Amino acid sequence: MNCDEVEDILGAYALDALPGELSADVTAHLATCSKHPEAAELRAVAGALAFAAPEAQPSAALKTRLLEALREESEPADAAPRRIGILGWLKPPVRQRAVPYALAGALVIALIALVITNVGGSDEPRRAAISLSGENNAGAVVYELEDGIIVLDAEGLKPLDTAQTYQLWSIASGKLSSLGLIGTAPNGEALAVVRADLNAIESLAVTIEPAGGSIAPTTDPVLEGKV
Amino acid sequence: MSPDLIDPSERNTHREDGDLADGLRRRDPLAMEILYERLGRQAFGLAYRILGDGPSAEDAVQEALLTVWRQADRIDAARGRLNSFVLTLVHHKAIDALRVKRGQQARQISVDFAEVEKVGADFSERVLQSIASGEVRAALTRLPEEQRRPIEMAYYEGLTHLEIAAALDLPLGTVKSRLRLGLEKLRVALRAGSGDELRRS
Repeated sequence: MNCDEVEDILGAYALDALPGELSADVTAHLATCSKHPEAAELRAVAGALAFAAPEAQPSAALKTRLLEALREESEPADAAPRRIGILGWLKPPVRQRAVPYALAGALVIALIALVITNVGGSDEPRRAAISLSGENNAGAVVYELEDGIIVLDAEGLKPLDTAQTYQLWSIASGKLSSLGLIGTAPNGEALAVVRADLNAIESLAVTIEPAGGSIAPTTDPVLEGKV
Repeated sequence: MSPDLIDPSERNTHREDGDLADGLRRRDPLAMEILYERLGRQAFGLAYRILGDGPSAEDAVQEALLTVWRQADRIDAARGRLNSFVLTLVHHKAIDALRVKRGQQARQISVDFAEVEKVGADFSERVLQSIASGEVRAALTRLPEEQRRPIEMAYYEGLTHLEIAAALDLPLGTVKSRLRLGLEKLRVALRAGSGDELRRS
């Protein structure tokens, strides 16, 4: 394949619209020829078409299925490292939590704010943190990880049997919306990442619901707090 | 813990994405949750645009994200590239599923993070600036129908240039040049758009 032949089909190549063997020929040619500098850019442009499709909301079940599939594929995990996980890689190393809960929470928030305050080019800290509290030392902090994505970091939640689940809710202008289901570790800790715009929310609550979740809360909150 | 402990130069988007890639490499499900919340709607939107039904589109997204999980060791930091990698995988899984639906052989194009990364990394960064402002969709809409349609058939329907020529009843040479011309125009539009973005910021 010579340079002219490559140029002739470069658009189709960039869009993966060539039969396999022809595409392989072009790849082989490009690997050794420097006369087609636009090839990489055309592929990047073709790749960017992914963003031309309108966003759409998958069913809530997809996330649950995905996380279950991950667990099946992973090594049998020892129960503890989930929390260490977030402290370990999401932020600079922090001492393990031997400090009171509220203090540890504040520390976590301060660190996150430091790390990600500048995301999006803004110098304004906008990473609100909310404390949720409940009975029997149950508690949680919620913070904004990045625009529109929040993390709930809870502890002291009693373990549930498989017929039940914890569910996180937002309340705004008297309207309740489900933010998603929350899995708990046997030690009562939970971490969940969900989509939510903290600017538009007045308070957050966690309830116990039948497995699979409810459309509206069916029990009183075990955790709640104002934004 | 003093704020001085963190080098201000590290406070940028790449730092954050490095953390996410690191979390994926450590097989922390939380990293996948973050990735899912960040990109899930875009990924599902893309798969749905290609497949046209929710359950198949969800399967494609799940397969793509499981591939990310399995290949996590090969993922490198910068945010734009992680997103590109994920969406490229979603695209391929969805196109494969579409071809199977049509009774054609899946093409099983393998996607390697290294390959995504070397594709005009610098340019992708600039393209990303445009993406933030919905520029890609706008640029595609502005293309003349005769160029947009073949590009959409290639990208969203997984057709080869021969199949497009047959479907549109056009000579193969015409399809080749319209694909190329359309992409060139998109390239120019995205460059111009990202230039504006950069000047504004």
